Amino acid sequence: MSARRAVLLVGSARPPGTGNSEALASYLLARLVEGGMETEVFHVHRCQRPEKERALFEAVDEADLFVLSTPLYVDALPYLVTRCCERMAAHRAAKPTEHRSRMVALVNCGFPELEHTLIALDICRVFARQAGFVWSGALGLGGGEAIGGKPLEEVGSMTRHVRSGLDLAAEALLADRVIPEEAQRLLARPMIPSRMYTTLGDIGWLRTARKKGTLRRLWDRPLG
Amino acid sequence: METHAHGPQVIADPETLNPAKRTLVLNGALPGDETLEPVEEALLALLREERTEIRGYAMRDVPLAHCQGCFECWTTTPGLCKTEGDAGREIAGAMIKSDLMVILTPVTFGGYSSEIKKAMDRIICLVLPFFRRVDGEVHHRRRYPRFPAVAAIGVLGAPDEEQARIFRALVERNARNLDCPVTAVCLLPADAPPADVHDRLAADLEPVLAHVGGRVA
Repeated sequence: MSARRAVLLVGSARPPGTGNSEALASYLLARLVEGGMETEVFHVHRCQRPEKERALFEAVDEADLFVLSTPLYVDALPYLVTRCCERMAAHRAAKPTEHRSRMVALVNCGFPELEHTLIALDICRVFARQAGFVWSGALGLGGGEAIGGKPLEEVGSMTRHVRSGLDLAAEALLADRVIPEEAQRLLARPMIPSRMYTTLGDIGWLRTARKKGTLRRLWDRPLG
Repeated sequence: METHAHGPQVIADPETLNPAKRTLVLNGALPGDETLEPVEEALLALLREERTEIRGYAMRDVPLAHCQGCFECWTTTPGLCKTEGDAGREIAGAMIKSDLMVILTPVTFGGYSSEIKKAMDRIICLVLPFFRRVDGEVHHRRRYPRFPAVAAIGVLGAPDEEQARIFRALVERNARNLDCPVTAVCLLPADAPPADVHDRLAADLEPVLAHVGGRVA
């Protein structure tokens, strides 16, 4: 009997190995591999050419589990993820199959509260329904920028709750169960207190601007 | 709507315009989908009654690079997306100079179509990177003194309460994050008779039409 397969689609447009969406999903995938699954990773911005898109769709068709991990862009899924979902749903509608893959979604955002991700997670659930996936649950994460695109273990104790939540999610997915609510509760715990996160964030923008010599122009209104 | 592939088209007769008011229409119809056409016609008729200057983009005809999530529009070229050579900066500029932005879209998994998202993802240059708190929730600070009112018209292929709920929630959250003064949502079935379309638009968009028509302060 061949190993079960999971396909990950990373929805960030950042270079591979540098995004928070990939860091989160990589941790989950590593647990799935430990549980005996094979995995394959696609990046949405590298799946725009027809042959790459076809490879993604075929891999997802044959997978037992489809994992979408994406940042939040303006309160919803990014353009490239939305386009990919539209085209994948059309592809799957045109080619019905007996094989019912499962789907999970991870959405992270730069605001400290995970509530910002809930609409995107709802959108993922409707996509799963329309594209014929068995919905296996979703996880939202606030304050994603605190990860800094690094592997979660490297970020350290700040991601302890996130890793515990993802461990629970992996355990459920390996047993063909829906991600338990406890996993979301663990991810809901802030990595950094909200006020500290926003203060550090504001300071970070100022420092970056100073390095780039744009500090005085940071509040410019070039379009107004 | 006749819209040029590059740059907006002023649709209304300039002599009828109320020069103080501008409306931007983003049409998010996907390639080959003509179901939004009658809705757009009815919308334009309503907007003309308000004597507002109307600019429109059929987004499927507008080549636009995707947002790279680099935040350089906040730190390297403050207020401008670093990507040049497409209509991204132009659309963001048209948006912030408008009194009303109308999003016309097929409801896609409860949200906007990819053609609308293509434009929306490129507008984070319109806010500042810094944070503010609204009702205990964190959002970005304004870059400009005001954002336009927003009307979102979603066309549903079949009745779907879940998608309708998500669509309303998305518009409400966009409005909160972008600090819009007024919002309106209209959800229409794809097969709605033209007379119904006009009446529903007139009723559901009343708050934003009043705003752009100068009938409210």
